[in-house]
Amino acid sequence: MKVVRIWFRKTGAARYISHLDLNRCMSRAMHKANIPLWYTQGFNPHAFLTFALPLPLGIRSERECMDLKLDDDVISREEMISRLNTALPKDLAVFDVTEPVRKPGQIATASYRILLEPENTSADELCSQIRDFFQAPEIVVPKHTKSGIIDFDLKPYLNQTSVSVKGDGVEMETLLPAGSNGNVNPMLILDALKKYLNLEPYADIERTGLYDNTGKIFE
Amino acid sequence: MIDHKIEKLLLKVQKPGRYVGGELNSVIKNKKDIEVRFAFCFPDIYEVGMSHLGMKILYSQLNEVPYVWCERVFAPWADMEEQMRQNHIPLYALESGDSLADFDIIGFTLQYEMSYTNLLNMLDMAGVPLKSSDRRSLSQLVVAGGPCACNPEPLADFVDLFFIGEGEEVDCEVVELYRDFKRKNGTKEDFLAAAAQISGVYVPSLYDVTYKEDGTIDTFQPRGNAPAVIHKRVMMDLDKSYFPDRFVVPYIEIVHDRAVSEVLRGCIRGCRFCQAGFIYRPFREKSIDAIDRQCRDLCENTGYDEISLSSLSTSDYSKINDLLDRLMAWTEDRKTGISLPSLRVDGFSNELMKKIKAIRRSGLTFAPEAGTQRLRDVINKNVTEEELLKTVNTAFGGGWTTIKLYFMIGLPTETLQDVEGIADLAQKVVDAYYNHPNKPRGKSVKVSISASSFVPKPFTPFQWEPQDTIETIHAKQRHLLSSIHSKKIEPSWHEADTSFMEAVFARGDRRLGAVLLEAHRRGMKMDGWQDFFSLQKWLEVFASCGIDPAFYANRKRSFDEHLPWDHIDYGVKKSFLMEECKRAYANKTTPNCREACSACGASCLKGGICVESR
Repeated sequence: MKVVRIWFRKTGAARYISHLDLNRCMSRAMHKANIPLWYTQGFNPHAFLTFALPLPLGIRSERECMDLKLDDDVISREEMISRLNTALPKDLAVFDVTEPVRKPGQIATASYRILLEPENTSADELCSQIRDFFQAPEIVVPKHTKSGIIDFDLKPYLNQTSVSVKGDGVEMETLLPAGSNGNVNPMLILDALKKYLNLEPYADIERTGLYDNTGKIFE
Repeated sequence: MIDHKIEKLLLKVQKPGRYVGGELNSVIKNKKDIEVRFAFCFPDIYEVGMSHLGMKILYSQLNEVPYVWCERVFAPWADMEEQMRQNHIPLYALESGDSLADFDIIGFTLQYEMSYTNLLNMLDMAGVPLKSSDRRSLSQLVVAGGPCACNPEPLADFVDLFFIGEGEEVDCEVVELYRDFKRKNGTKEDFLAAAAQISGVYVPSLYDVTYKEDGTIDTFQPRGNAPAVIHKRVMMDLDKSYFPDRFVVPYIEIVHDRAVSEVLRGCIRGCRFCQAGFIYRPFREKSIDAIDRQCRDLCENTGYDEISLSSLSTSDYSKINDLLDRLMAWTEDRKTGISLPSLRVDGFSNELMKKIKAIRRSGLTFAPEAGTQRLRDVINKNVTEEELLKTVNTAFGGGWTTIKLYFMIGLPTETLQDVEGIADLAQKVVDAYYNHPNKPRGKSVKVSISASSFVPKPFTPFQWEPQDTIETIHAKQRHLLSSIHSKKIEPSWHEADTSFMEAVFARGDRRLGAVLLEAHRRGMKMDGWQDFFSLQKWLEVFASCGIDPAFYANRKRSFDEHLPWDHIDYGVKKSFLMEECKRAYANKTTPNCREACSACGASCLKGGICVESR
């Protein structure tokens, strides 16, 4: 038995697929691609898939990963990539298979790039509007937690966020807490724009990286 | 192919995966190469429509034609519809994201009557005029097929053209004719007249109906060259008939999320309430070789690890054990399960049980349909209490503890005694468990009984029968409840209100077009869902149109009445259905097609069991 880490993109239509559905989709692809999975030995044998950090609905990523357990007769990295890509829809594309370096539990932060399309204003205007807004002493939005919906102040988490004009749009780069010890969904920033500024621009959100608590990239 | 305007809505609705397309095996073509754009519409939500085998077959088949691009369209759930309407986004096809209004042919499959309001709502969401007479050009041609098309009359105002019978050939013929007319800039009128000459095509606008004072049909006349009788199309050789080697594999979980092989069409049984048992005659089987190949291809191309052997009655497949042996020779290694959805009480042998057990253990479901032998004879179910008890004993011996039994309430000639019989039969199953020497130790038994209300359907021996009124059904349901004395028996039923409306539209005529239009105007939709269905609203619509729904649901027709679907021919003769109706009232059963031919008329189609040696 051997654990490998599969790296894939989640783009296009696949952004709107929940984590549960992604899990099933991947299991089916493993089956279709004839990947020699290691199965649990119980009454109802099933494969073992673990995702490092589920991507929130609607967000795309060029660098997602999941771990799986293979049976001993391991196939080559190239063979695995090509077999999986014929078994997956094009919006879920595998680009690498590696040996896991860090454990998913070590993930502490995630970086995101948010591209906003201004609706009735120019990009310059939208950019300065958002910059001003981020100076507010507190930015409180409702946040879903295990214990229900709470009032959550985003402001303390925005110190590593930049806002700039990019072409016809506004680009935000942000680094937010992620992982099992507190997670901040970048959608909350959009919720805040709607709540405080009544702005609802089209937003393309990409998760650009996962890091541990020393800032090292997750691999 | 979803644009930003739609994407903005997706995070505001439940299950956005319904609305994005992009699934494995979905077909994307270059519009430049396409002459006919076909929107295959399922008038229900994604999860229901994507489970439908007929859609999978026709989607793949139409896309094999180089000049056709067939795309899928489903009814959005109410949350998405609200967002789309607020933001002026038309109903769109999942492959291209283009509006339904941009299509040459808009095709609906009619699986149940309560989806008719969705058909109108879907057209409306794309701004397509609802009435065929308001759609003047050749494009936006609205066509429909499927089992409910056997009585197309309630939709005659809206649908330009119906496919009668099995669609694999006739769909392609009509599409080809459409291409010819589009190339030569032909008119819709000329196209419809020409299409009506294709066997299996019914163009309702080419017929005139008059009514008698009592409300029944007086005359039904074709105009011009339209045929007086429309004969159904049938695929006689299932091995040669088109079957896809891949399905679109959805991202989100759908109702039936597995590979499906259709092992046979039609049914030998002739249960008198069952429309499918008559309209799909004659009984035809696919060969083991073809099924095996199709299952391998499907699993290979989809990644599914479960195969369903689908049909009206899979245990009637003559070589079912050989078939399972052949499939299990490879499915076990591939960790692939096989499910048999339609088992008959008398088709559950020890051998079959051992095979199912080796594959996967789920609950077992059987359909005795009626509680007493007398009533089972009336409906020609041809299953005895002895057989049922033998079957459940086999199952209990094999370790099963959950049995589900399907019944109907409101069958012709039914008395309260027959209703009590349902509870008695369920009790006997419970008792059989406790008397079983090898029952699973330390486990309790559960017998679920599901009682639906009988809906008389066209092309059955009961097509002349009145449906019990809602009050009578409710009284019978209460009686059933009071007859159950064991906690091991769990009763459930379908809403009688819905069955009443189903009965109205199943045997309706053209005058119901006005009712559907008014219902749509009042925002009614998703009537197959209890969250939306409201009998009160329907009764108000009927009242405002001056139409009495009881005329359609609760009225006993005489044998000489001109029925709204009399111009449609499914092979089975009306005189045979009359004979069967009379035999029902005499408690007489009729042998199944394998035992003896009862001369139903389907032999005129010259195939299947009608020509095989018995």
